[in-house]
Amino acid sequence: MSSPHASPRTGAPSARRLLPPGLLFALPFLVLFALFMVWPLVQGLWMSLTDTSLSAHAPSFVGLDNFTEALGDAEMWRSLGHTVWFTALSTVPLVAVALGMALLVHTGLPGQWVWRLAFFAPYLLPVGVVSLLWIWLYQPDLGLLNHLLEVAGLGPVSWLSDESVAMWAIVLTTLWWTVGFNFLLYLAALQAIPDHLYEAAAIDGAGAWRRLWSITLPQLSRITGVITVLQILASLKVFDQVYLLTKGGPNNSTRPVIEYMYDVGFTGYRLGYASAVSYVFFALVLIASAAQYAALRRREK
Amino acid sequence: MTGIPAPVGPPAPSRRRVLTAALASGAAVLGAGALSGCGSAQAADASTVRLWDLFSGADGGLLNDMVRAARPGMPGTRIERTVLEWGTPYYTKLAMASAGGRGPDMAISHMSRLAGYAPTGLLDPWDLDVLAEYGITEDAFTDAVWSRTQFEGHTYAIPLDTHPFIVFYHPEPAREAGLLTRDGALDTDAFSSPGQFLAAGRELAKASGKQGIAFGYVTDTAQGWRLFYGLYRQTGGAFRLPEGGPAEVDVDRMAEVIAFMAKIVDGRVNPRRLDYASAIAAFTNRQTAMILSGEWELGTFRTADKNVGAAPFPTVFGTPAVYADSHSFVLPHHPDPDPERRRRTHQAVAALLKAGQIWATAGHIPAYGPVTRTSAYAGLQPQSHYAKAQDHVVLDPSVWFAGAGSDFQNAMSQVLQQALLDGLAPDRAARAMVRRLNTFLSKPSPA
Amino acid sequence: MTSTELPVRPAAPVRAARPSRGPGRPRRAARPEGNLTLGESRLARGLALAVLAVLALAWLLPMAWALLTAFKSEQDASDPGQWFLPRHGFTLHGFSTVWERGDLPLWMLNSFLVSAAVTVITVLSSAMAGYAFSRTVFAGRRWLFALTVAAVLVPPQLLIVPWFRQMLTLHLVDTYAAVILPQTVAPVMVFILKKHFDSLPRELEEAARIDGAGHWRIFWSVLLPLSRPMLAAVAIFVFIGAWNNFLWPFVSTSDPGLMTLPVGITSVKDAYGIQYAQTMASAVLAALPLVVVFVFFQRHIVKSVATTGLGGQ
Repeated sequence: MSSPHASPRTGAPSARRLLPPGLLFALPFLVLFALFMVWPLVQGLWMSLTDTSLSAHAPSFVGLDNFTEALGDAEMWRSLGHTVWFTALSTVPLVAVALGMALLVHTGLPGQWVWRLAFFAPYLLPVGVVSLLWIWLYQPDLGLLNHLLEVAGLGPVSWLSDESVAMWAIVLTTLWWTVGFNFLLYLAALQAIPDHLYEAAAIDGAGAWRRLWSITLPQLSRITGVITVLQILASLKVFDQVYLLTKGGPNNSTRPVIEYMYDVGFTGYRLGYASAVSYVFFALVLIASAAQYAALRRREK
Repeated sequence: MTGIPAPVGPPAPSRRRVLTAALASGAAVLGAGALSGCGSAQAADASTVRLWDLFSGADGGLLNDMVRAARPGMPGTRIERTVLEWGTPYYTKLAMASAGGRGPDMAISHMSRLAGYAPTGLLDPWDLDVLAEYGITEDAFTDAVWSRTQFEGHTYAIPLDTHPFIVFYHPEPAREAGLLTRDGALDTDAFSSPGQFLAAGRELAKASGKQGIAFGYVTDTAQGWRLFYGLYRQTGGAFRLPEGGPAEVDVDRMAEVIAFMAKIVDGRVNPRRLDYASAIAAFTNRQTAMILSGEWELGTFRTADKNVGAAPFPTVFGTPAVYADSHSFVLPHHPDPDPERRRRTHQAVAALLKAGQIWATAGHIPAYGPVTRTSAYAGLQPQSHYAKAQDHVVLDPSVWFAGAGSDFQNAMSQVLQQALLDGLAPDRAARAMVRRLNTFLSKPSPA
Repeated sequence: MTSTELPVRPAAPVRAARPSRGPGRPRRAARPEGNLTLGESRLARGLALAVLAVLALAWLLPMAWALLTAFKSEQDASDPGQWFLPRHGFTLHGFSTVWERGDLPLWMLNSFLVSAAVTVITVLSSAMAGYAFSRTVFAGRRWLFALTVAAVLVPPQLLIVPWFRQMLTLHLVDTYAAVILPQTVAPVMVFILKKHFDSLPRELEEAARIDGAGHWRIFWSVLLPLSRPMLAAVAIFVFIGAWNNFLWPFVSTSDPGLMTLPVGITSVKDAYGIQYAQTMASAVLAALPLVVVFVFFQRHIVKSVATTGLGGQ
């Protein structure tokens, strides 16, 4: 087997030999990468050490002031708490409900395409559509949800304007919107479980429940780990649906840290401070990623 | 050549054609995209003046009418409106667009926001000479409003209106309670001290058979502040907010005002826990005879009671002052503005101001003096009854964090809600407000 | 949710080179029943079906409700007295108003332009880079690849403030370029495509090289055609991600003429106030393009989710 070398005997000799062909291939990506990943990361770090502002005045170096301010900023911690709270609230349903759906669909009941379409279709909707839909659903006087509550004899709920309910409303919307993705992942994993495991169990006389507990779920533990990790990391970055449903309200009670960063930087003009906040957020993401990576690794040992 | 995996996937031809077409169009798009370092096509049209505003609903319709009525005053020019969501998102987007240098030609801004906006370099000043050519001069506006348009010797805003916080009432119960003057206007002397104000409320409650004065403030981000600040300025108390703090305010007078406000919403004579919408409903359904409200709700009230009366907010604490804000036109910063475009923009503003009579029908007081001095305006009922409020308007303190839709207003209103609804003692509420004020002051101004 | 991070799936390192699960090739369930059956119990089947039906109903209800509202007249839509069937019958008025009066067609075009551009640039550059990392050798290759993989951990949300600052510097705020370019950096796609190219057998290339083909020929004429399903999966994913992306288009465009669909329908308000039927009509119209895409590319989408989510074969 000859190795995939950029062998000199191929191709016409040309001035392009200054750059190895491999590098040429990678160049478009690398240029974009350098321009829009590396440069912003560095510039972001630089900005966090200055008082860069959206307004016209020239920025000056402030050292670690932004970071000390961020770490002492109660509102920042509160918004970080909202992000974590959202993650905690949403991860379990998003994994469990997806699993339940996948198990049910996988049993081969009739109407397969109906189930798949119903559960996955919302995932295709842009967040703008999802938020418009759910704002309408949550409308206190005219929305469907309060109407259903009324029919059931319960009182109306101020879904998006009641502080104690708003985050749950956001979680519900998120569940409806994104469970389809996890559902598909679970379906694929279920289909990949080898049949002979079930056949062997059936021969041993195991009933449906036994098979579920002893074969299916253990076989799914790896994908569950993956899905959970992915879900947590995705939830930590939440912004879109919260901003669109409640703008972080009522009274900033649902504002996630990304929105706080947006508010501070663009509404408050303080781009430097916003950069510092974003790096605090990045630290959170890195810690979460590392922790979960370690946990997954240990699990697989 | 064994072991070549058979091409997987569905039969190629139709998919491939689709993909090739997509690739081709994508490549075309790439080329177009590379060339369009420029913005959207609208920017290129030189005879269009782009206006951003936040007027939807009835106001939005009226502005459309004004734009139409203004056409003769600006031949060859078209105004193109974009309506964005009210509140903070509007100002954020406007600032970001101005920072990028490709913002609209002109935009609406609340005057109360100017103190935070003008110093940032995101606005360009108006050329008063050009405006004078089109008939708009400084003396056409009241001092109270004009003084707020200035920053470092330049004019950064041209006022369209003032919209004060006033009182509306149903004439029948008011007459029965003996609160109307001979010509049918509200006898504001009957409200000229806290005690008299509350007594008038009792009379109104008796006359209406239900309750007296409605005030919606629960969960509202601004109402509490609007009522408070107008009343506080009536006491003549100082409200100086030097940069870096601390705030120089009269805490005792603040407490006095807060105590008065709490007495208004006592729950017996007047309803206690109304939010913005339910207060409006209470007044329109005649549960109350009077409501403390912004004039912008005139349309709603008039639909419910075509004889609804209105008056400037009574002077309860001695010095006439009416809380208000003003919609004004600003020029988003452009690094290299086309002089012809700018001229058209000035002309458009002048034409719109002159069509202010239309705007007045919504209840706003047109800032352009000549409009309010016409007989057509005087014929507007009840607007003409509160037009004189514009001489005594007080806007938000001229400080960068205040203004319509700001966190500041929200923070103040929250404390006030605790005082009115949850029973927080007035002096403690006043001190809480001062604490929050100082927190705002301690943050560096973004400019 | 953008393609640059996959609805964020940086767990790829975990799956680096794991063998497929279980001994033997897993048999794809060719029969309608999955390998997890409910047995013969009629009750169990009935119960399961009922649960599924309820869930599906709950999941479809919001969209059905929006659709219903969109076809009502404005009067009926804001009438709390009637919930389902409109008193005045169904109408297309909401749709026609939204289409004619607003900028919705423009936003749709913008979305299409932006998404297509992002997709083409991303897929091409990522495929080329994947090939480079997989099949070529050059100085710093390993280091650059490691950097690319590490970059998967960087969330785009972190970058919006610097990106905006960058666009200010480049004077590109409120341009198509500003919206498109940052979205084209997709390290995770490079990773996936590299792994994919790794998995392709080398015999074909060897043959081509003996015939005198250079890298470009091999890439374009040999490997790419072999990779069509994978490329399709990646392209679809990138397209959907770009179409649905909200945060960056929201930050980078204030000019409504440049807004993409998700940004436009939520930012620009009707000058005439909150019109529920029209709002729902605009939502329905905004949802249509991807639904159409789904209908046509259903199998690919499902496959691409599974593929990219599970990190490749």
